[in-house]
Amino acid sequence: MGDALAKLMELRDDPFSMARGWKERTGGKAVGFFCCLASEEIIHAAGALPVRITGENRVTSKSGAHLQSYCCSLARTSLDMALTGDLDFIDGTVFVHTCDTMQRLSDIWRLNAGYAFHGDVVLPVRFEGDAALEYMREELASFRQRVSDNIGPVDDSALVESIKLYNRNRELLSELYRLRREDPGIIPSDEALWLVASSALMEKSEHNALLEGVIEDLKGASSDGSDAKVRLFAAGSVMDQWDFLKMVEDVGGTIVDDDFCTGHRYFDAEVPVDVDPIEGIARRLADRGSCPCKYLPSRDRAGCLLDRAGEAGARGAVFFQFKFCDPHSFDYPYIKKALDEEGIPSLHLEIEHDSVSTEQLRTRVEALLETIRGC
Amino acid sequence: MTAEERKLYVKIQATEQMKQLITDYYIGAKTAEGTDKPICWITSGGPVEFLIAMDVIPIYPENHGAMCGASRMSVELAEVAERMGFSRDLCSYARGDIGSAVTKGGPIGGLPKPDFLLACNNICGTVFKWYQELARYFDVPMFLMDTPFIHKIKTEHAAEYVRQQCLELVSFLEEQTGKEFLEERFAEVAMLSVEAVDLWKQVLVTAEHKPSPFTCFDAFIHMAPIVTLRGTQQVVEYYKLLKDEMLQRIEEGVSAIPEEKYRLIWDNIPIWYEMRNLGNLFASNNACLVADTYTTAWAVDIRIDEPLTSMADAYTKIYLNISIDIMIEQLLNLIQRYDADGLVMHSNRSCKPYSLGQYDLAHEVTDKTGKPVLIVEADMTDSRVYSEAQTRERVEAFIESLG
Ligand code: SF4
Ligand code: SF4
Repeated sequence: MGDALAKLMELRDDPFSMARGWKERTGGKAVGFFCCLASEEIIHAAGALPVRITGENRVTSKSGAHLQSYCCSLARTSLDMALTGDLDFIDGTVFVHTCDTMQRLSDIWRLNAGYAFHGDVVLPVRFEGDAALEYMREELASFRQRVSDNIGPVDDSALVESIKLYNRNRELLSELYRLRREDPGIIPSDEALWLVASSALMEKSEHNALLEGVIEDLKGASSDGSDAKVRLFAAGSVMDQWDFLKMVEDVGGTIVDDDFCTGHRYFDAEVPVDVDPIEGIARRLADRGSCPCKYLPSRDRAGCLLDRAGEAGARGAVFFQFKFCDPHSFDYPYIKKALDEEGIPSLHLEIEHDSVSTEQLRTRVEALLETIRGC
Repeated sequence: MTAEERKLYVKIQATEQMKQLITDYYIGAKTAEGTDKPICWITSGGPVEFLIAMDVIPIYPENHGAMCGASRMSVELAEVAERMGFSRDLCSYARGDIGSAVTKGGPIGGLPKPDFLLACNNICGTVFKWYQELARYFDVPMFLMDTPFIHKIKTEHAAEYVRQQCLELVSFLEEQTGKEFLEERFAEVAMLSVEAVDLWKQVLVTAEHKPSPFTCFDAFIHMAPIVTLRGTQQVVEYYKLLKDEMLQRIEEGVSAIPEEKYRLIWDNIPIWYEMRNLGNLFASNNACLVADTYTTAWAVDIRIDEPLTSMADAYTKIYLNISIDIMIEQLLNLIQRYDADGLVMHSNRSCKPYSLGQYDLAHEVTDKTGKPVLIVEADMTDSRVYSEAQTRERVEAFIESLG
């Protein structure tokens, strides 16, 4: 393991240490956000650090007074983190319109968590058509204004700089995925996915520098024969279960490409830089093909995922989602059917942050791998 | 109905007319299947006036879902969808509807096949995913009317976006039906809709009277026409009739339940399969549910002078598309208007936009008014998650606590 990778891996056990350290060093503000549709560039250009909150494995103590048990554990554990003071380093939060749960969580959070800044970005649900794109631009512009008023000025030149930094990060992460498609054995899936997830937890320029180091090292590396592992494609919302991923590798599988919002969706598509920055950000969001919360009638999500699974040489697929997640649950049967028609075996796993049992999942992953090997 | 139940309720005469209206509507819709009369499935909060103005038959899977629930057929239909891979945790209207679409099952042998679909996400994000599945299953086009959620204030650009979509919807319908959209016709329909909604509101407020002439369980049944047929003359006539009957009750001193001692507000969608039992349970404890947050969802204002703009506005502002703060205001308002003694909340597993936030709402209500709140855990049509015994116990204890 190279130095840069080792340094990043060290941070995995305490994901918010980076943000805390950054605040201490710079005295800047940290802004929590949930969804990768949040336009981090705008927050970053205001001089703040966007920090992604994705829940964590814990038994909740305080959120149960606000959220029913049939709410996804991402929302329940995130709120619990806020209410117990574990997010005391953040100065504000941004909610983007995605699912019904997030929409209500925003209100509950605003009424109970009490951070200085609360930003709602009510992006359209339609991501196609002139009216929707016009509305999206207006909403992003209004968000930029609110950030300027409450956090720090967001002028054009700063925004363009941030966009470049973020685009560079996207380029590097795409490169990482490309290298893994060629030779997945150079770095296990849990580490590769942490390279993406960590990007949303630390200052982008630092992350870029570390990523450059990692990629440099990986380019030189090769894993003789380690492509013996079964290549898998995975889909879901947030992937934050490192033990699960390690287990997949242990039993002989490897996730070569994915449709996680802390994975490929995070860095998919770049912001065009030859247009007005807000226009550019809007275009990128609409270009990203695959969010189940958004309506993209001209694109067939299952088809796109199948194509990518094919390019990755995946022989099986894993749906990994949180229980009570409506958007992903609705898409599952249709994507599963498309996989079946192509003869790609798949596995559907549902977890909750407060009761993860890697052991139970192990048997099911093993069974999937056996099916694939038997094919 | 047993003799004992009969004593607990005074029967609403207009019910027969309402049943006839709904039966005729479903027969009309079913016989239109396969003819050249276009059929569109639409969500309960959708702008149906456009369809009526274009002579399209609107079909409401949610109303059908309520029917399936009330006749206790939802579970078997939901199980069909579950076998197709749809999670048991998804909205049971959606599961039941997908199950019914595939098997033609349910109390009326399924709904007539749609020629196209109109989903409006002012009630939830579920409808958009659900209709996407229907679009794939029936292989028909779908129009999504996207009404941005209102967290605090409604923005200008959101209003403009919805208005633009109304225009797009017009083009979509012209394309689907091959007919021209006539503004005068639309204004007529909108006017009828306003009139019906207004009458419906007048019906609902008769419950301000003490004792109340009807309960929200009656409202749940009598809301069917305002959901499915608003924009037509028949509905206007029907609500005139119902309103007169309620006013007459007030005049004659007739109350919905024999002895109204407590007045309560209901929050969330009814527990359809349990309506009668619950109604009796409250009535036998002298508690009248005088108002609810659900049936008022159709009590929106539309301005005649600018039907399209105000329609876009009205459809964006409905109860499920607003933030908890605005919901709190509306709830407090209901409690005050109807002089209620407490609030009963149905924590409905199926419906996250309606249910998440209820704990905070409950807390606020008690905090601001001192009135108690009962939260009942259930599902509107999936009876597998409901415990009758437990609910009975809790309701009785709650009413006892009212003193
Ligand atoms: S998309 Fe799914 S996992 Fe994410 S907040 Fe919504 S329900 Fe939870
Ligand atoms: S019950 Fe709730 S989730 Fe289901 S369709 Fe109605 S509003 Fe949407």
